[in-house]
Amino acid sequence: MPFDFGFVVRNLPVFLDGLFVTIQLSALAFVLSLLWGLVVVGLRRSDSAPVRNLAAGYIQAVRNTPVLVQMYFIFFGSGMAGYPLSGFVAGLLALTLQNGGYVAEIYRAGIDSVSRRQTEAGLALGMLRRQAFFIVTLPQALRRVVAPISNQGVTIIKDTALVSTISVAEMTQAGRLLADRTAAVYEVFFTLALLYLLVVSIFSGTMRLIERRVRVLA
Amino acid sequence: MFDVVFRSWPLLLAATGETVLLSVASGLLATLLGILLALGQLFAARALRYLVEVWLYVMRGVPLLVLLFAMYYALPYTGIDLSPRVGGILVLSTYFSAFMAEIFRSAVLAVPKGQWDAARGIGFHGWRLMREVIVPQALRLASASYVNTMIMLVKGTSLVSIIGLWELTLAGRQIVERTLASFQVFGAVALIYFVLCYGLSLAGRYLEKRFSYVH
Amino acid sequence: MSIESGRAAIELRGVSKRFGSVQVLNRVDLDVHRGKAVVLIGPSGSGKTTLLRCMNFLEEFEEGEIRIDGEPLGYSDDGTRRRRPEREIARQRAALGMVFQSFNLFPHMTVLANVTVGPVRIKGLPRSEAEAVARELLDRVGLGHKLDAYPGQLSGGQQQRVAIARALAMKPKAMLFDEVTSALDPELVGEVLAVMRQLAESGMTMVIVTHEMAFARDAADQVVFMSGGSIVEAGPPDQLFHAPQTERLQAFLRHFREGYRL
Ligand SMILES: Nc1ncnc2c1ncn2[C@@H]1O[C@H](COP(=O)(O)OP(=O)(O)O)[C@@H](O)[C@H]1O
Ligand SMILES: [Mg+2]
Repeated sequence: MPFDFGFVVRNLPVFLDGLFVTIQLSALAFVLSLLWGLVVVGLRRSDSAPVRNLAAGYIQAVRNTPVLVQMYFIFFGSGMAGYPLSGFVAGLLALTLQNGGYVAEIYRAGIDSVSRRQTEAGLALGMLRRQAFFIVTLPQALRRVVAPISNQGVTIIKDTALVSTISVAEMTQAGRLLADRTAAVYEVFFTLALLYLLVVSIFSGTMRLIERRVRVLA
Repeated sequence: MFDVVFRSWPLLLAATGETVLLSVASGLLATLLGILLALGQLFAARALRYLVEVWLYVMRGVPLLVLLFAMYYALPYTGIDLSPRVGGILVLSTYFSAFMAEIFRSAVLAVPKGQWDAARGIGFHGWRLMREVIVPQALRLASASYVNTMIMLVKGTSLVSIIGLWELTLAGRQIVERTLASFQVFGAVALIYFVLCYGLSLAGRYLEKRFSYVH
Repeated sequence: MSIESGRAAIELRGVSKRFGSVQVLNRVDLDVHRGKAVVLIGPSGSGKTTLLRCMNFLEEFEEGEIRIDGEPLGYSDDGTRRRRPEREIARQRAALGMVFQSFNLFPHMTVLANVTVGPVRIKGLPRSEAEAVARELLDRVGLGHKLDAYPGQLSGGQQQRVAIARALAMKPKAMLFDEVTSALDPELVGEVLAVMRQLAESGMTMVIVTHEMAFARDAADQVVFMSGGSIVEAGPPDQLFHAPQTERLQAFLRHFREGYRL
C-alpha cells in the first residue's frame, strides 16, 4: 500500500483545525501551569506547617495519579455535580493541576540550588526576606529551570492528546475521525506524528533560545 | 455514598491486577530496550548512533496516545496476529524505553572521568570495566530518575484504556457508565494508582538508601 | 589623632554565642570608634566570622548586646531580648556594609545593577540618582568601565571591588570585611587591599577580618587578637605585632612568621 501524499494534502485543513485547538490548549495549560506552580511552591515554603504539608500532599497526589483519570474525575464529576464543564475546560484544569505540581517541584529545586549566601548578601544590604526572595533568589532560580520547564512543556503538549477522550476536537481526535472515515491509517498517523514533532521541536527550540539568553555565568 | 465503590471492589481489584501486569511487563521490556538504546547512543558506530538519536527524538516528541492509536489502527492491515494486550505492552515499552535510554546514558556519562581512568589504570577494560566499575555507580546515579520514569509508566498504562484494553481506568469508566458515580469511582481509581505509584517511590527510596555508598 | 566622641560607633558588650553545645563567642567586649579601622586576627575557628556576622545580625546571639550608634542591634531596647520586627532589623543592617570572602555578587545583574539595587529597592532612591552614585563609586574602585559587565565576566579581584562598591552605595555608617582577599589569586589581592586602604584613609569606620598581616600593620588603628571565641589581646598594631603580651598571640605570630607571609 503506497503512501498517499495527495490524501494528506487534501485533508490538511482537518489536521490544521485540530492543530489550532492543540496549540491553544497547550499554550493555556503551559502558562497556567507556570503560574499555578509558583503558587504551589509559595505554599510549599509557607511559614505555616499545615499549609506546607497540604501543598506537599497535593504535589504527591497529582504526581502519583494519571492525568487521564484526573480528567475523567473533573469532566464526568463536574457533570454529576450539576456544573458540567466542557471537555476543553476540564482538560485544561486537569493538565494545569497535574503539571503545576511538577512545575512546583522544578521551581523548588531551582530555588534550593541558589546558594543561601545570595539571600544573606541581600539581607546584609538591608533587604527584607521577601525582597531577598523576589529580587535575588527567584530570578536566579527561574533562569536555572528553563530546561526542565521546557521538558514539562513538551509533556503538556503531548498530554493534550488525551482530551480527545472527553470529546475535544483537537488534533489527535481529528486524525482518529479521519482514520475511521477513510481507512488511510498510515497517512493519518504519520501526519499526526509529524505535526506533533513539529510543534514540540518549535517549542523546545524556542525554550533553548530563551535559556541561552537568560543563562547566568557562574 | 461509597457503596458503589465497595460493591465494585472485586472488579476494581481484578482491574488493578491487569494494570500491575501491564506495568511489570512494559517496565521490564522498557528497561531492557532502554539499556540497548543507551548503549547504542554511547558506543555504537556513528551511523547507528545517529539512527538511535533520531529514533529517540521521535519517540520523545510524539504523544503516547498517538502511538497507541497507530498500533491499534494499523495492526489489522499488517497481517501480524497480535493481541491488543501484547500490542499495548509493546507500545508502552517502546515509548518509555526512550526515556529510560536518556536516564541510563546520562548516568553513565555522569560517572566521573577519574573513575574510568583509575579502572583502566588497574587493568579493567571493555565489558569488565563497565560491569565492575561504571555500571554499579551509574545505577546509583540513575536510581531516582529511573523510579520517576517507572511511575510515569504506571500512570501511562491508563492510556491503553482508550484503545479498549481492560485495566483499571477502563474498569472505572465502565462502572461509572453503569452507576454514574463518577466522583467516587474515579476517586477510588485515582487512589489505587496513588498506592501503586507512591509505593513504587517508597521502594525506590529504600533501595537508593540501601545501595548508596558511605562517602 | 582625632578626638574621639563619647560613644563608639559599634559597641559590643558581653556578646556570647553558641552553636548547639559549642561556645563560639565568649563574652566579647569591643568598641569600634568612628573613623577607625579595627582589624581582627586569630586562628581559624576562633570565631572571627561569627563575630562579624553578629554585628550585622546575620547571626543571633544569646547573651550580651551590640549597639550601633547607641541603638541596640537586633533585639528590642527594653531589655527583654525580644527580636525586633523584620523591618527594623533590615534598616539596621542597611546601616552596616558587609563584604564577604566569596563576593556574593548577584550573578544575574550587571555591575551597575548590583550597585544600584540596594539604593533603589531598599531606600527608594530614584534610579538616576542611584546610578550617579554607583558610577562614582565604581570609578573610585577602578571599575568605571565595567558597568554593563556581569559578575561572571570579572576576575575575583574585580568582583570583590564591585562588592565593596555595592556595600558603600547604601552609605553605611561602618563597613565589615570578612577575609575578603582569602579567595583571591595572590596577584589580585593588592588591588582589593588598595581600595580598602583608601577607604580607611577617607575616614570610614571599618572592622576587618584578615590574614594579611602587613596590611593589618599599616592600615589598622587597632588590632584585636581572638582565640577560642574570646578577645585575648587588643591594642595598636605596633604593640600587638612587636610586643605581644600573651603566650597565645606570641605563638600565633610565630606560626605566621614561619609561614610565608610577614
Ligand atoms: N553555622 C554553624 N554551625 C555550627 N558551627 C559553626 C557554624 N558556623 C561556625 N561554626 C563553628 O564556630 C566556630 C567559629 O567559626 P568562625 O566564626 O567561622 O571562625 P573563624 O572565622 O575565626 O575561622 C568554629 O568552630 C566553627 O566550626
Ligand atoms: Mg572566617
